[in-house]
Amino acid sequence: MKNTIKVQRAIKDITQAQLATIIGVSRQTISAIEKNKYVPSTVLALKLARYFEAPVESVFELTEED
Amino acid sequence: MKYLSKCNVCFTFGKKYNTFVMEKSYLLPHQFKKTGWVLLVLGLALGIAMRFFGIDSDYFGRIPFLGIVTENFLTSNKHFFEVAENGFLDELVAVLIILGGVLVGFCKTKIEDEFILQMRLSSLVWSVYVNYGILFLAVLFVFDMPFFDVMVLNMFTVLLFFIARFHVLLHRANRM
Repeated sequence: MKNTIKVQRAIKDITQAQLATIIGVSRQTISAIEKNKYVPSTVLALKLARYFEAPVESVFELTEED
Repeated sequence: MKYLSKCNVCFTFGKKYNTFVMEKSYLLPHQFKKTGWVLLVLGLALGIAMRFFGIDSDYFGRIPFLGIVTENFLTSNKHFFEVAENGFLDELVAVLIILGGVLVGFCKTKIEDEFILQMRLSSLVWSVYVNYGILFLAVLFVFDMPFFDVMVLNMFTVLLFFIARFHVLLHRANRM
């Protein structure tokens, strides 16, 4: 699964740490998701999409391997 | 999101960052972690001193203990519920390492979220594999008193391997 969190974050102009605080997770979690090292739970994915005011499919996208 | 706070099987973000609370995470509050480090380091230091610098269990004196079961070395007779004096340093070391290790290993991190819980779980699995891998080899290839030494160390290694592995993963995640 790939995601556009880094881009979305740039649009909102906030850091990983700020996003983490808003969503209520650790900065490491945001960083791991951005680097595709961690696939978030559905709840976390929905919360991120809600914050970015975008549909979840535009933030997270399945890849060939999934 | 309120209905999500009653999820029984999923992970927690902690009450402070309340999203969905795992009712049974079995983890301890973050505030005890520092105490855990103090106890653990003290226990390990005393344990190393006993093992490598010839300090024996009577070093700080002997105090009475209630032994639920004890055994006379020479006669092999078992005694039940008998109060006997015992050098307490070895008991102290074990208690410090167990309490300290459990606190360090199982106190929540400042923000214990799903990613950190996943690292915690994988570290726990890793440490059980490594611990029993070593024990497996020791059962086959180590005998007599050296095997007894392995057993003594093995009482603590699963906790210590877990703590080491978990903190390595946390450190790696921090640098990402």
